[in-house]
Amino acid sequence: MADRLLFSKTGRAKYISHLDLMRTFQRAFARAGIGIKHTEGFHPHPFVSIALPLSVGYSSQCEILEFGLVGGAEADEVPGRLTAAMPEGIVVHRCYPGERKLKELARVNYIVNFEYPEGRPQEAEPALGELLNRESLVVKKKSNKAKAGFTQVDLIPLIHSWNLECQSDTMTLDAVLSAQNPGLNPELLRASFCEAYPQFAPDFVTFHRREVLDGEGRAFR
Amino acid sequence: MNRILEHILPKVQKPARYTGGEYNAVVKDKQKVTARFALCFPDTYEIGMSNLGCRILYGVMNRKKDIWCERCFAPWGDMEEEMRREGLLLYGLESGDPIADFDIIGFSLGYEMAYSNVLNMLDLAGLPLRSKDRRELTPLVVAGGTCCYNPEPLAPFIDLFVLGEGEEVTLEYIDLYRQARDDGWSKEEFLQEAARIPGIYVPSLYHVAYKEDGTVEGVTPLDGAPAQVTKRIVQDMNQSYFPVKTIIPSTEIVHDRVMLELFRGCIRGCRFCQAGYAYRPVRNRDPKLLAQYGKDACQDSGYQEMTLSSLSSTDYPCLMELCDDLLDYCAPRDIGLSLPSLRADTFSMSLMERLQRVRKGGLTFAPEAGTQRLRDSINKNLREEDLLQSVRTCFSGGWNGVKLYFMLGLPTETDEDVLGIADLARKVYFAWRECSPNKARGVRITVSTSWFVPKPHTAFQWDAQIPVEEYQRRVNLLRDAFKRDKSITYNWHDPETSYLEAIFSRGDRRLADALEWAWQHGAKMDAWSEYFDYRRWLDALEACGLNGEFYAHREREKDEVFPWAVPSVGVSREFLWHERELCYQSQTTPDCRTRCSGCGANKLLTGGGRCG
Repeated sequence: MADRLLFSKTGRAKYISHLDLMRTFQRAFARAGIGIKHTEGFHPHPFVSIALPLSVGYSSQCEILEFGLVGGAEADEVPGRLTAAMPEGIVVHRCYPGERKLKELARVNYIVNFEYPEGRPQEAEPALGELLNRESLVVKKKSNKAKAGFTQVDLIPLIHSWNLECQSDTMTLDAVLSAQNPGLNPELLRASFCEAYPQFAPDFVTFHRREVLDGEGRAFR
Repeated sequence: MNRILEHILPKVQKPARYTGGEYNAVVKDKQKVTARFALCFPDTYEIGMSNLGCRILYGVMNRKKDIWCERCFAPWGDMEEEMRREGLLLYGLESGDPIADFDIIGFSLGYEMAYSNVLNMLDLAGLPLRSKDRRELTPLVVAGGTCCYNPEPLAPFIDLFVLGEGEEVTLEYIDLYRQARDDGWSKEEFLQEAARIPGIYVPSLYHVAYKEDGTVEGVTPLDGAPAQVTKRIVQDMNQSYFPVKTIIPSTEIVHDRVMLELFRGCIRGCRFCQAGYAYRPVRNRDPKLLAQYGKDACQDSGYQEMTLSSLSSTDYPCLMELCDDLLDYCAPRDIGLSLPSLRADTFSMSLMERLQRVRKGGLTFAPEAGTQRLRDSINKNLREEDLLQSVRTCFSGGWNGVKLYFMLGLPTETDEDVLGIADLARKVYFAWRECSPNKARGVRITVSTSWFVPKPHTAFQWDAQIPVEEYQRRVNLLRDAFKRDKSITYNWHDPETSYLEAIFSRGDRRLADALEWAWQHGAKMDAWSEYFDYRRWLDALEACGLNGEFYAHREREKDEVFPWAVPSVGVSREFLWHERELCYQSQTTPDCRTRCSGCGANKLLTGGGRCG
């Protein structure tokens, strides 16, 4: 099985898109003098693959990248050398051989922070609680496959657990969501909330991926 | 990161353009530097980050401990809208601080269609547009780049222009600025002193008088400013800074590769080419040094592609030696090596094979004119037989696409010359039929023509751009000639931007009003079809009582005083006039390596050296 990196992407690096991030890693490996496997075929290029592409603007402390370590560094040197070759905001924490299949990555823990700089309305918390406690919450979702350009998705079965915590000017949703097949992007929760309760729409929302989990809720590596 | 910025970024396209934080971006402690410089490129991040000159200046300044140079680009429309709505001022990418608080704001001026962005960026920075309305010394607004050889349309907006290569003079005027700031000089006192630095042109220190017919009567220096300001050059390319360690964008840019600058200047002397005259004299870098730079730059950047970048790279005397050295490094690492500018006459199969071992896409040649007579006139010393020999070589080697670039409206051009373009393209097609090992794949021959824009400091600075109707007629003539050639695609350039370029490239200070009018009425990003509005520019000229044809379509008298009377590229006016006369006699001038033609640029070499 392929080698893996565990890395975080925060600060200014949040805005690097998925494709750009792969290019950034390919170059960073070269800068750090770490040899990695190349694809075969007519235009061979360094192979890297990132599990669960992160939306632009989201931060994460648990990104997983697959590659093949060929030489130039021992696995335990890779995080330090690669981080030194990275743009600001990308830190590589671990390099290790992958043991489990990526499809076992079943859930993601997100921290979604609703910001109310003018003060949080008291009723925002019960409103969001009401929304997440519904029997079903069907929304339209963009789809490239469906003929109509969108499909209907019920969000509730894709939410495994959640917890709300509030400060005077924020409301923080800590939620474990389905990761893939199908996955749930927390942006859909924000959008549903703002549609159902426009009067409690926050000024701004940040999204942070805190942990990737397997089907039993243990950290996936 | 700035909170407003963080709130804006999710709403705009390609937000990574606006964040900074790239690998090798320089972050310093602002308390520990004595000068902060905003290096502004008046176009998008993707274009500006592809500019080698800016990378050089960024490195030259940031090498100095006490100077912090940051980058600033023109935001795309969606970002500009958000910035204006949220009151976010234009900021330096490294610190996020407003550039209005910097010491010096420096623009890189490479093409006329970016002028509206200069004004827009000053406005986004929260600064008055006109130099006279910015009373304080700080921030000082400067500009450099090729357009500064006639910067007159921007004269009222910019405090000083830097002529020529900026490696040395930039540090000189920053030093003077710091002295002025610390000793409390007024802006006027500083500018008078700055005008004494060779290569610095302070437009406010010149009075321009006009004749009744609209031409310049005279340019009078004030307060001891020099009558002529000659561009600066780097004397020794082996000693000059090369950005081995340079910013690697985290998002894709236009030229996303290592750029290796082999030499400055060009030996060719094409009479229409401003770069060919303006970058004289030719100064080469040592091939061993270049090979080292190339390897180190690949190593530090992680780029998988390198390009040899100079005005006419195949004229580099040690090209084979350099390519061999670089290929020894690049080939085992799958790093691609390319040459952006090929001349058909020096082109050889072995070089081509050596460089492009994998991809066999299209090749580009620029014969510029269709007949030998006209190519001789413009001193594009490219022989038809050499071109055909080159394309035969390409086609035999399996290439199946060729692009050919030409200009319409060159001085002395006749219909015969226009139709000669079609003949030449057909000969290229027959060469394919004759040589291609695999005709089943077909061939793509693309002919593109642009409308010739006469530029200052060239042999054609006196010449008229042909009228638009005449350009259209020649386009139609050529289009009809190609009607039956199914394998040849003909593209022609829209005339609108070429007309405006012709106006602004040889324009005078009065055009500043039109520029400001156009900006006030929404002009920006004029190099982008999404934003360019031709009507707006015509209205701007009319509103300011200016006649575009006076600038674009008028032939100048031999001794007319040009608006660009003060800036000098080191090439004498007599030489340029002589070159123009040779053009009208269809006589060629040998390249600088074959024989020195005495243009005067060698006087810029302080060692009394020879160019080339």
